[in-house]
Amino acid sequence: MSTIALTAPAAMPGAPARSSGYLVLAPSCLVLTIFFALPMGTMIGMSFMDAQTLSPTLLNYQRFFSDGLSLAGLYRTAVMSILVAVCVTVLGYPVAYYLARSRSRWRALVFALALAPELAGVVLRTYGWLIILEDRGFINDMLINLGLIASPLPLSKNLFAVVVGLTHVVLPFGILSLTTSIQGIDPNLERAAQMLGASRLSVIRHIILPLSVPGIVSSLLISFTMAASAYATPALLGGARFKVLATMIYEQVLFYIDWGFAAVMAIALLIMMLAISFLGIRYETRRGNRRSNREGEAS
Amino acid sequence: MNRVLTCLFWLAIALVLTFITLPLAVVVAASLSPSSAVTFLPWEWTTVWYGNLLADRWLQPFLLSVKIATVVAGISGVLGVLAAYAVVYERLPGSTAIMAGLLSPLSVPQIVKGVAIVLFLSIIGLQGVLGTPALIAAHVVLALPFVTRMAATSLANFDGNLDRAAQSLGATKRQRLQHIVLPMIKPGVLSGVTFAFIISFNNIPLSVFLVRPGDTTLPIAVINYLEYSLDPVMAAVNVASMIFILTVIFLFEKVGGFSAQLHGGSK
Amino acid sequence: MNVNRYLPLCLTLMLSGAPGLAFAETLVVNSYGGPYEAIIEERIIKPFEEKSGIDVVYDAVGSASQDYAKIKATRGQPGFDVVVMTASQSLQGCKDGLLEKLDVTAVPNLGKLVPSLAAVAGPCGAVHEVQYMSLLYRTDKLASPPTSWSSLLDPELKGRIILPTFQNIMAVFLMEIMSVTRGGDMIDNVDPGFSAMAELARQSIGFEQSSAILESYIKDGTVWAMPFWNGRAQLLVDQGVPVDYVRPKEGTVPLIATLNVPVGATNKQAATAFIDFFLEKSSQEAWVTGYKVGSARTDIDIPDDIRKRQITTQADLESLKLPDLSRIADKLGEWGERWERDVVSQAN
Repeated sequence: MSTIALTAPAAMPGAPARSSGYLVLAPSCLVLTIFFALPMGTMIGMSFMDAQTLSPTLLNYQRFFSDGLSLAGLYRTAVMSILVAVCVTVLGYPVAYYLARSRSRWRALVFALALAPELAGVVLRTYGWLIILEDRGFINDMLINLGLIASPLPLSKNLFAVVVGLTHVVLPFGILSLTTSIQGIDPNLERAAQMLGASRLSVIRHIILPLSVPGIVSSLLISFTMAASAYATPALLGGARFKVLATMIYEQVLFYIDWGFAAVMAIALLIMMLAISFLGIRYETRRGNRRSNREGEAS
Repeated sequence: MNRVLTCLFWLAIALVLTFITLPLAVVVAASLSPSSAVTFLPWEWTTVWYGNLLADRWLQPFLLSVKIATVVAGISGVLGVLAAYAVVYERLPGSTAIMAGLLSPLSVPQIVKGVAIVLFLSIIGLQGVLGTPALIAAHVVLALPFVTRMAATSLANFDGNLDRAAQSLGATKRQRLQHIVLPMIKPGVLSGVTFAFIISFNNIPLSVFLVRPGDTTLPIAVINYLEYSLDPVMAAVNVASMIFILTVIFLFEKVGGFSAQLHGGSK
Repeated sequence: MNVNRYLPLCLTLMLSGAPGLAFAETLVVNSYGGPYEAIIEERIIKPFEEKSGIDVVYDAVGSASQDYAKIKATRGQPGFDVVVMTASQSLQGCKDGLLEKLDVTAVPNLGKLVPSLAAVAGPCGAVHEVQYMSLLYRTDKLASPPTSWSSLLDPELKGRIILPTFQNIMAVFLMEIMSVTRGGDMIDNVDPGFSAMAELARQSIGFEQSSAILESYIKDGTVWAMPFWNGRAQLLVDQGVPVDYVRPKEGTVPLIATLNVPVGATNKQAATAFIDFFLEKSSQEAWVTGYKVGSARTDIDIPDDIRKRQITTQADLESLKLPDLSRIADKLGEWGERWERDVVSQAN
């Protein structure tokens, strides 16, 4: 969720028609105001209101911090997202390295296999995992039929199932950001090190991994934020026993009809995501500073 | 040592690719399985479950999803190009701030946006727009920042010399926009529009709050059905919708030739 | 220009769109999916469509309490005209002014219902079916039929029971009956109920919301006993699944299902016509024999073996424990939290 670096286009013919420029912006601004800014404002307002009487109150916030369930949900969300971020980055790295370096004709196939599933939608993939992991699903069925286990292993409706499902959903994004980063590393560095007798392992350890840290960080960040805000996968694979903030928000809106409390949970989720993005931005700036310092020393 | 490492490397890639394709393969297999329990025996298969797809229960949500996704792709395509044009090409004062504002929905989780929109509509008493109108509006909010960003990137990367050359040869602004700028950014915009289509077509976290009876999108119809049953019809529906999406991408690719963009700038 | 080429297409789609406007003679009925859907389609909706010429759109989304939440969130305009809920939501919806009041002028067949049964649902609900929570068990797995709700806690059933989620009213009823079993009551002193539910959670393989998924577990033998609506239980018996059900000695809670019309329904006339049709003698007979439930009409002709196992009379109803449904509605939020904290957390 980074913002675009607005590299000024190589000196466009600066047109004086400023007013028409703003006019052209108007539809986008209007749409985003009505269907994004105002709703967000309403939601923040609702979080300070009693759902029944609409009178101002801080009770929703108090409840969030004191009922034990909400903080547990927040904690589960964080743990789940961290695990997903790590799994995605670890699993995605070899594939990303291959995609960045290979010139083989298989590359296109690997690329398609790695990224095409993203286009298939979350339901299809989550449904696939449901069939595989369910108590009476593929794996348990097979193990029971083979006589290896007597009762099904607890593979679904828990943290494990949700992490597996979400890792699968998020993996293509992790692979993309890692690939881009590894592509940016000069392959000559690796070649030079190898010619100087470095083993493959030490090339990986001392050159590739350190230089791809920015890609690793961005993969971790993207995965974390995508996992924390996912709804369908935790709902289907986590069930009643593994509820995260997203599923709890849904329940507050569509079952208990407590909008004020739903708003507080939504804000908590939002703050967690913004905090993570902020860490990412700070990392980027610090890195940028260090680099410019180094360049300053060199000159 | 290097040998072992290479082997491990290939093994890791094979495992990850298996992990990625496994659930898809299982769903495809289940959709062809003659047993109503979701299992798969490769020597017995049937297409009988696909017969259910034409029932209203799946056809209606499918058509609605296609309609909404098309409208969303159209609206966000037009609005996104206009916004990118104003910010990048016209370089309005304060363009960085404007761009940040236009992209701000990206940093808000979808489920939060969904809650916000449904609360807002209920508070101001517009529950009548739940269903298609609310779905379109919400999906546009979701897709617009992506399209704007892709259009802005295309505009920013586009070689201004061409434009200046045309200008010095006396081309009007209109002519330049029509014959130079738009064709140049077409691949970027088309990939943004395709992306908008897919985002809308597959969306769950926003749609889940905004559908109404008789106005339900395909992914929501699927998760509602999963509440009651885990049968192969589900698998058939999912496979068909995946094939549809791949076809859409193929067609857009034919029109726009944007694969280079979609592939994240790989050489 | 591509943008120009797509624009007319988009506009046409938008203009041709606007559904909802074309829904003049369609009636949207919200109810449940799974076996329920197949039976209501065949026994009630098809005959109704043939008789009235009205098209019925069937919406199988959500449990009764989720449907009510949707009515509340949309201030009575949820998008469906008739909804199948229970007496709990009927009472609450009447109080909140979100459900239409129904009377004999609009729905003549309301006059044919047993007054005391009809009264349970208040003026906004038309009782179209009566069931009770039974204890369903596998006859091939249990040595002897269970007689008490406490049998669910038998060591032999460890890992062999399943529980409803809190979104399913059965969860509340089970908690209440366990509370009574353990010396508590149904509203004010439910501590024994919750502690019993915690034990049940440790005993269970988990929670599911819909009856269709719950029953799939007992059908394939994963689960050997569970609470279940007796009508649905009877359906399983009739399908030849090796199961049977009992009314345990501590008694049980009835489920009074109702048809309701949200105040903002777009098609009220068709809605009341549908409700009246559902309460018709022939429809009630078709429903009672099809879905294996009890009826609030005593004048229906049904085979004795069905009548014997269902609630059809005043006396049947009195043998059951009917909690104060409107007070339950007020407790729902508090109990929901407690359920998460005390019950769900205990599941393995």
